[in-house]
Amino acid sequence: MSTETAIPIDAIEEWRLPDKGKLGMICLIIAESAIFSIFVVAYVFYMGKSLSGPTPAQVLRLPIFATVCLLSSSLTVHFAVTTLEKGKTGLSTLWLAATVLLGGIFLTNTGLEWHELIYHDGLTIRTNLFGTTFYSLVGLHASHVLVGLVMLCVALAFGITGKLESHHAHRLDALSYYWHFVDAVWVIVFTVVYVLGR
Amino acid sequence: MQETQTRSSSTERTKIVHLPEPTAWPMVLAFGITLCLAGMVTTFALTVLGLVLAVAATVGWFRCVLPHEKHEAVVAKYAVTATGLTTHPPPRQYDTLHRRVEPYQAFSFVAGIEGGLAGGAAMTVPATIFSLAAYHSLWYSVNLLAAGGFVSWTHASDAFLSRFHLEGLLAGAVIHLTISLLVGLLYAAMLPMFPRFPILTAGIMAPLLWTGLAYSVMNIVSPILNDRIDWLWFIPSQVAFGLVCGFVINLRERVRTEGFRALPFATRAGLHMSRTRTRRKGGDKK
Amino acid sequence: MTPTAIAHAEQPAPPATKKLWLEIAHDWITTVDHKRIGIMYIVYALIFLVIAGCEALLMRIQLAVPNNHFLSPEVFNRMFTMHGTTMVFFVGMPILFGFGNYLVPLMIGARDMAFPRLNAFSFWISAFGGLLLYYSFIGGDGLYGMGTAPDVGWFAYAPLTAKLFSPGHNTDYWILGIFLSGIGSVGTALNLVVTTISMRCKGMTMSRLPLLAWLYLVTSGMVFIALGPLTAAQLMLLLDRFLGSHFFDVQAGGSAVLWMHFFWIFGHPEVYILVLPAFGFANEIIPVFSRKAIFGYPAMVAATVGIGFISLGVWAHHMFTVGMGPAGNTFFALSTMLVAVPTGIKIFNWLATIWGGKIHFATPMMFSAAFLFQFLIAGLTGVMLAVAPFDWQLGNSYFVVAHFHYVLVGAILVMIFAAFYYWYPKMTGRMLSETLGKWHFWLFFIGFHLTFDFMHVPGLLGMPRRIYTYEADRGWGGWNMIVSIGAIFQVAGILCFVWNMIRSYRKGEIAGPDPWDAWTLEWTTSSPPPAYNYAEEPVVHSRRPLWDIKHPNDPDSDYE
Ligand SMILES: [Cu+2]
Repeated sequence: MSTETAIPIDAIEEWRLPDKGKLGMICLIIAESAIFSIFVVAYVFYMGKSLSGPTPAQVLRLPIFATVCLLSSSLTVHFAVTTLEKGKTGLSTLWLAATVLLGGIFLTNTGLEWHELIYHDGLTIRTNLFGTTFYSLVGLHASHVLVGLVMLCVALAFGITGKLESHHAHRLDALSYYWHFVDAVWVIVFTVVYVLGR
Repeated sequence: MQETQTRSSSTERTKIVHLPEPTAWPMVLAFGITLCLAGMVTTFALTVLGLVLAVAATVGWFRCVLPHEKHEAVVAKYAVTATGLTTHPPPRQYDTLHRRVEPYQAFSFVAGIEGGLAGGAAMTVPATIFSLAAYHSLWYSVNLLAAGGFVSWTHASDAFLSRFHLEGLLAGAVIHLTISLLVGLLYAAMLPMFPRFPILTAGIMAPLLWTGLAYSVMNIVSPILNDRIDWLWFIPSQVAFGLVCGFVINLRERVRTEGFRALPFATRAGLHMSRTRTRRKGGDKK
Repeated sequence: MTPTAIAHAEQPAPPATKKLWLEIAHDWITTVDHKRIGIMYIVYALIFLVIAGCEALLMRIQLAVPNNHFLSPEVFNRMFTMHGTTMVFFVGMPILFGFGNYLVPLMIGARDMAFPRLNAFSFWISAFGGLLLYYSFIGGDGLYGMGTAPDVGWFAYAPLTAKLFSPGHNTDYWILGIFLSGIGSVGTALNLVVTTISMRCKGMTMSRLPLLAWLYLVTSGMVFIALGPLTAAQLMLLLDRFLGSHFFDVQAGGSAVLWMHFFWIFGHPEVYILVLPAFGFANEIIPVFSRKAIFGYPAMVAATVGIGFISLGVWAHHMFTVGMGPAGNTFFALSTMLVAVPTGIKIFNWLATIWGGKIHFATPMMFSAAFLFQFLIAGLTGVMLAVAPFDWQLGNSYFVVAHFHYVLVGAILVMIFAAFYYWYPKMTGRMLSETLGKWHFWLFFIGFHLTFDFMHVPGLLGMPRRIYTYEADRGWGGWNMIVSIGAIFQVAGILCFVWNMIRSYRKGEIAGPDPWDAWTLEWTTSSPPPAYNYAEEPVVHSRRPLWDIKHPNDPDSDYE
């Protein structure tokens, strides 16, 4: 059979496919959400089932300042992406630095909170079910913040050394998806742990 | 590097293709993470070693992609045909043109409904004869069918079932009509699939098959029917349904399916017909 | 055949400079080529298949006669734990990911996976996870400091896994090994999704995607949602065992049933993660050997997505015997039966594809036919077990073991064999021997039915799973003997298969690019394909691009 008598290659007008990096990040976020939801379910399941104290009402204080910092860092990273898309690399670096700073404040705050809980209130992961679920859920979130911060720092380092260019915008955008996800998880953790659970 | 086989009849070309550069860093990173975790169940030193490897590998990996992804160039030699696909002659071909086999003509739903109604009507004849012969009652078989729907009738006597009951007639009629219509529709859909021996398959085999099915599940569906049914009479009534239903459906004209529209124009215009499935008629009619 | 024709098929390096072993090893370790990674996945899974198969054999020898003392109870516990864990995580998942890695980019006309380095990383971390798990035979210490490998069963129910009841580290090896393989699975699944969506060649719209790619897409989506809960539950167990937290510690108010829920939220979709790629193979093989296009493509896609969704809401049918109350039992019984609907659609579509076709019973088609028949039976016993009262009677009996082996062996493994016979020519450039293939098929078919048909019976007679021996007066002896004899036939079949693969690699008939007269894109390139897959990006116009090329006067694109 001859392949020469052929179907004409009609030009398929515009063959656009979604960006790999962003799609990959969305997949990662779905997988991570599954992990987080199991930890949240465990927290809710064990709410008020501790056999001994301390209880959340006795020791937890609302981390309003840290929450404001983390949520506003979502805005700053968004600005970092939009400014980079427009080619304003200097401004983008500045926004990145602000994001890292805000994320750092949040993480420090969590550290201080834990220090207080462990050494002042005597709550550790072994104390009771509240300690078990609290440290694991908040700790899992904090570790994600940490990973995000490291990635942002790498981006910031590129910005400071002047290697950040506007064609990197889609990569930074993918990273920003992750950061938004970390923020969204915090909203849930905050509601479950500090509002409903107290 | 491998070369594509080329054929002299088509144009040979060469081309540089960029592929991602091979790198061992992913493997080192995986190894590092594994050692990190293995340290938890062996000695702490492994965790430290694992961490060092993991950090080194992460840096190495980053340098592969940032700021620019590293590539290696590969020379591709290939033959291109007019199709735009780089192809090779297909060496074996099992078939000539052979497309999906869908019936080009089928019966309409209306035919199925008609057939179901006619078959249902025909079925009442042997059933009523059975009723009259065995219990001297016109209503026995109707009531028996309806009894499956009434819990209170489970232990009813033969005398009770021989009498006329309005609710029994209604329930029996609904059950009978529903099943007849559904089977009629099924017949309309399936008759074109049995072009050979239609009387045997649709008229006799199919009723026998579902009689067997009914025989095995009747105890669960309607225990009272199961207790009193006379299977020897049941079979002729089913065969009556199958024959009449198939006959009535076959009287209707067939309609053309989507498969027909997909046929080449010449075939559609009747210039030449392809194969057996366009053979006319395959129902109960000889 | 001339000596020159018997060239090395895999790497046709110039004959003058033969590559050193070290160089070859270096090539494979540093590779980021999806085809090589796919082959590594497959080979690694086959090695574990042999290991886990040997574990099964040891168990069958032990159970063949009553009052046997071939294995000690402790060793028997380790054997069934390692057999189950290995087969699911280090055979099933990697072999399917291997085929996915190899085939999906080729079928959608891409040069490589979306993230080639992540692909390599995913493979290696899964591989190291398996090695870590098996290192426990040497390095693990369990109960009384004498156990070695994990012995808590593949679903590792709490509270047996608590530090108190499983001292030492062997349970930790189980957690860590699977945790690592989980990272790899999510990585590969992510890669497959992004590749399928973002790397399609021109004209390859989602409605022209080969069904195999569709099934891998849905499988990968399920991996994200199913493996998260397992990873999370394992993290909790790890915290319990290392830091003394109380997730599954009943003494401190923790719940053992919570672990069951978490595990089966993973465990049930896992079955579908394994079986969907097998469906994918059937979707490619059955049409080619029936010489017809697949029947009901949109229905197939819809059924696949439907199975994906429904299977996320049925997990507690593994827990009817726990006592969830009537509401829970009813919900999970009904949702489980609902799975039968999309699955039934698939079976009917395959039958309709075969119906009226010109069937060629080459080895891949023979395995596919066996698959259809066996999968149907497996599905029927599945519906039986979905009926909660029936499950109360037979839960945790050999009836359950027979049921899920019917799925895992009778459907999945059989379709994997079919896939080997079908795509081996593409991967190596040489055909597998049909004669040996027929021997393989019949021996395995007889062995499978001897083993797993008769395994239902001792289950119905009340034989529980996971007992290491039984008394002679129970009446289970004869049945177990038949089951064990079947295992011998299966081993003989597998030996034919292994020998076939080794022999055909050097002496098999040269395949050429398209030995089956097939229709999907991978058959347009040479066998084995060059590193770059396609020198020029293909353009497709229908679901069967190669049909269009072979029949330019009657292309599929006119009909779709
Ligand atoms: Cu299940």
